[in-house]
Amino acid sequence: MPHLVVERHPNAGSSLTPGRRLWITGQVQGVGFRPFLFRLARRHGLSGWARNTVGEVEVLVCGTLPALDAFARDVVAKAPDIAAPRLRRVEDWEGAAPTGFSILPSATGATPRIFLPPDYFTCGDCLAELADPTDRRHRYPFINCTQCGPRYTLIRALPYDRANTSMARFPLCAACQREYQDPLDRRFHAEPVACPACGPQLAWQGAAGTAPETGAGALQACIASLSSGRLVAVKGIGGYHLVCDATDEAAIARLRRLKPRPGKPLAVMFPLAGADGLDALRRAARPTEAEAQLLSSPQRPIVLVAKRADALPELLAPGLAEIGAMLPYSPLHALLLDELQRPLVATSANISGEPVLTDGDEVEARLAHLVEGCLHHDRPIVRPADDPVWRTVGRRPRPLRLGRGSAPAEIDLATPVRRPLLAVGAHMKNAIALAWDDRCVLSPHIGDMGSERSMEVFEQVAADLQSLYGVRAEALACDAHPGYATARWARRQSLPLREVLHHHAHAAAVAAEMPAQGPLLVFAWDGVGYGGDGTLWGGEAFLGRPGSWRRVASFRPFRLPGGERAGREPWRSAAALCWEAGRDWPACPDHDGLGFAAWQRGLNTPTTSAAGRLFDAAAALTGVCLHASYEGEGPMLLEAAADGGAPQDAAALPLAMDTDGVLRADWAPLLDPLLDARRPVRERATLFHESLALTSAGIFAALRDRHEIAGVGATGGVMQNRRLTDRMQSLFAAAGVEFVLPARLPANDACIAFGQVVEQAAADAQGG
Amino acid sequence: MALDETRIGLAHGNGGRFMRELIHEVFARHLGGGILDTDLDACPLPRMPDGELVFTTDGFTVQPLEFPGGDIGSLAVHGTTNDLAVAGASPLYLSLNVFIEEGLEIEVLDRIVASLARAAREAGVEVAAGDTKVVRRGEGGGLYLATTGIGVRPHGLRLSMKEIRPGDQVLVSGSVGDHGICVMLAREQFGLSGDLRTDAASVLPLTRALLELEGLRFMRDPTRGGLATVAHEIARATGHSVRLRETAIPVRDQVRSVCEMLGYDPYYLACEGRVVAVLAPEDAQRALAAWQALPEGRDAAIIGEVEAEGRPVVIETELGGRRMLEELEDDPLPRIC
Repeated sequence: MPHLVVERHPNAGSSLTPGRRLWITGQVQGVGFRPFLFRLARRHGLSGWARNTVGEVEVLVCGTLPALDAFARDVVAKAPDIAAPRLRRVEDWEGAAPTGFSILPSATGATPRIFLPPDYFTCGDCLAELADPTDRRHRYPFINCTQCGPRYTLIRALPYDRANTSMARFPLCAACQREYQDPLDRRFHAEPVACPACGPQLAWQGAAGTAPETGAGALQACIASLSSGRLVAVKGIGGYHLVCDATDEAAIARLRRLKPRPGKPLAVMFPLAGADGLDALRRAARPTEAEAQLLSSPQRPIVLVAKRADALPELLAPGLAEIGAMLPYSPLHALLLDELQRPLVATSANISGEPVLTDGDEVEARLAHLVEGCLHHDRPIVRPADDPVWRTVGRRPRPLRLGRGSAPAEIDLATPVRRPLLAVGAHMKNAIALAWDDRCVLSPHIGDMGSERSMEVFEQVAADLQSLYGVRAEALACDAHPGYATARWARRQSLPLREVLHHHAHAAAVAAEMPAQGPLLVFAWDGVGYGGDGTLWGGEAFLGRPGSWRRVASFRPFRLPGGERAGREPWRSAAALCWEAGRDWPACPDHDGLGFAAWQRGLNTPTTSAAGRLFDAAAALTGVCLHASYEGEGPMLLEAAADGGAPQDAAALPLAMDTDGVLRADWAPLLDPLLDARRPVRERATLFHESLALTSAGIFAALRDRHEIAGVGATGGVMQNRRLTDRMQSLFAAAGVEFVLPARLPANDACIAFGQVVEQAAADAQGG
Repeated sequence: MALDETRIGLAHGNGGRFMRELIHEVFARHLGGGILDTDLDACPLPRMPDGELVFTTDGFTVQPLEFPGGDIGSLAVHGTTNDLAVAGASPLYLSLNVFIEEGLEIEVLDRIVASLARAAREAGVEVAAGDTKVVRRGEGGGLYLATTGIGVRPHGLRLSMKEIRPGDQVLVSGSVGDHGICVMLAREQFGLSGDLRTDAASVLPLTRALLELEGLRFMRDPTRGGLATVAHEIARATGHSVRLRETAIPVRDQVRSVCEMLGYDPYYLACEGRVVAVLAPEDAQRALAAWQALPEGRDAAIIGEVEAEGRPVVIETELGGRRMLEELEDDPLPRIC
């Protein structure tokens, strides 16, 4: 927001007036905070001024004592939804009261603490105008104000001014200009402000050869197309969605066949209905109280909620007990769903694993085999932001993915970095982090890094974060894996580079969320990551603090046949365990014995101790999933298959100390029960979860006698499993130790960049 | 130790009678009859047509020594003559260095030299000079060969990665990965009964078929590191992006299924009888037709093109994804969980 003087009559009076000076920190810039102060002061009959200083807003208010008290209270309590103010300091003041309330230029020489806002949902005021036939923005799909609308995805450069956004191409009409300049208007300096007369327009492109439609006609054409079961690409805030009628089984089946996406769950957007907007959603799902709040929160994420049987086609999330649900988060979505009055599939328009597509031509070219119509608009998306995803794990909703509305995410560093650092994250679910001083900013989800587009977006976001925050990285951090595309990229740059072990980064990221002082025990359980001994870790437990982790426990190692292919073929993990233990597995798909022969000879058979692979093995041995069509399908189906109390014979795996002093949990006792076809799959799946939870508690029990443990953390992709984490939470509570699961950042590889920052900061503090 | 007359002993390399007899009975018998004179220290090269001399050398250590469709002997001819051929040359003469490990069956050596001689005849080259050494048991993999080749190519022929321009088309003369998988299966003695044979062969007919074309920029035989490595070499030398289409690249079903089982990528596997060629777009179809008319080029295909900008090597997958093909790692570790 520019520093605009609104009214200024300093020192007009001569008598002494009581006043108060306030220093307000937190998220107070770019969220309409100073106009809010202006209105608040007016409401309480106070005069004074407000100005930006370094990282905060400084305020003087003068008037009656009760009004001053009310102001100090309301400045936090009644702040805009998307602001997060914190009163840092309040001082009494007495002097000549200014007349009126002014917004002063920033304090001289002060560099504002830049805050790059994410993209916000459509606020209630704008939704009301959208529905009001007398309003000039009635049914205008790009309505927004200082409290809502796109930010991150349309800012090209700072300062955050219209000229520096993708709205620069839309000159304001007189009416919008008036609102933009009126401090009492809720569109005062709303940079993306627009109306049908001067703002962006929709454009519909139907089947080849048909004439394009614009404006209201485009919306109607899209609605007609969706009503007749077509697959449509709809341009939203951070990218395009692939959309179809979520009640139309044939449409969903066609989407799955053509994308192709045979099994991976599809997110569903529900119409706003009822008092809290969730009535339509509740007809298909059972959100908890916390999930309902999250669904309606400003970031409007996808939340995995328990689905109601037979409410929607099983094809949306085959074999799973939950469905990814969200509410409309842009005026365009609100209009579409309001008209259709039925849930819509709204999944990222992309090629699997790549970042969501943002460009209309590219959507038409690359998804030509799939989409039967495109609803475009002419407000460019500067950089992609996928929808954020949350799931209730460990008794509260936790993020699985940061994205539109929740990122860039600001995290204060308890230990600062010595010089500006760019951490490039992992290979899958990549997100990157920029850190300087005691600040760290984590990007939205970028994608899986094997593709060209992921790499392009990665480079763009890396450059953009630095230029938008005005910070140039002087050092890099990457994963120690030699083959990660991000690590290769980092090694090609000419900056000092720290290579951080994958699971050290995981441990550091959760440690930063743990209040405990003293040594921490952290379980880092995931798919596979490069370990310090050249094997693939993923079932590790570390003792220590960021910067000094000691691997204290792991699983019995086993060799994965076919290397990377094991990630999509759970049967390989199952075969590995059986071959390692010398057991026969009749259902093994290695029919001609080639896989076994190669495994015996050590061809492409890396050694791993990953818990994620044990979940895969269990999914395959129980017959739940031998071949996965998406990452994590085996473990997800296994979790969904588990039900009820744990069987009597569920026990912690036996532990033995190896020659390096690492406790090794032996998975071999699991093979008998997992392969016991006389027992129901449900029971076997439950037993497996219970055994792993008990094993984590067993590891803790074995270590606590010999080591001081101030708190226990658990992270890694495996900790997205609710059955496992809920059980671990209970077991550690019973053991009387603090137990922490990541709540701020995802437990999966999206947190790796932040963990790399924390590890670098710890090394800086230790002088390393 | 009792002399086993069926096997190579150290005496076969000492310059004495055993060595003389070995050279006479194995090497001279198969390779003689032309200009090879095992009594000479150095050999004059009589037949030198007009053109630019092209010279190359290569060593061969393949295990096992014999595999379906070929052996180290034929490979030693094809490896070197193919390097000459893709440079646009007609191979003329080879030299041959032989390092035999003590204990190799003479019968095996004889078969391999016979095969080498046959491959040389087919490729139209003569072995003009040679040398034999015997190394102690345990110091060699049975047999190592090294060949050096001389060929001649037309004056003024400009074949180089430097000639490659954005828009140029990339062709491959046949299925990729056959040799790599065939040798791997033979080496590991998987006992797979299949009909998969090495692709090792002279590529001379293939390269000759394109030399006339004005738009021919560059040819290479994708040996070690396979197709992906050639693509990376092109990208690195030109600064452009090589874009391949997965659905266009010929891969035999059996190669594909072995790769799937073992987790290998066929684009990184060695070929010994294929050519990757880059042509100006206007000549690409003509080149394809010329290749497809040959038995060696029946499965030839246009598999991609060169673009000015982009990641070094990108392969468009069957599903429309654009995957980066990374440079070959020593030991690729899984990245995906």
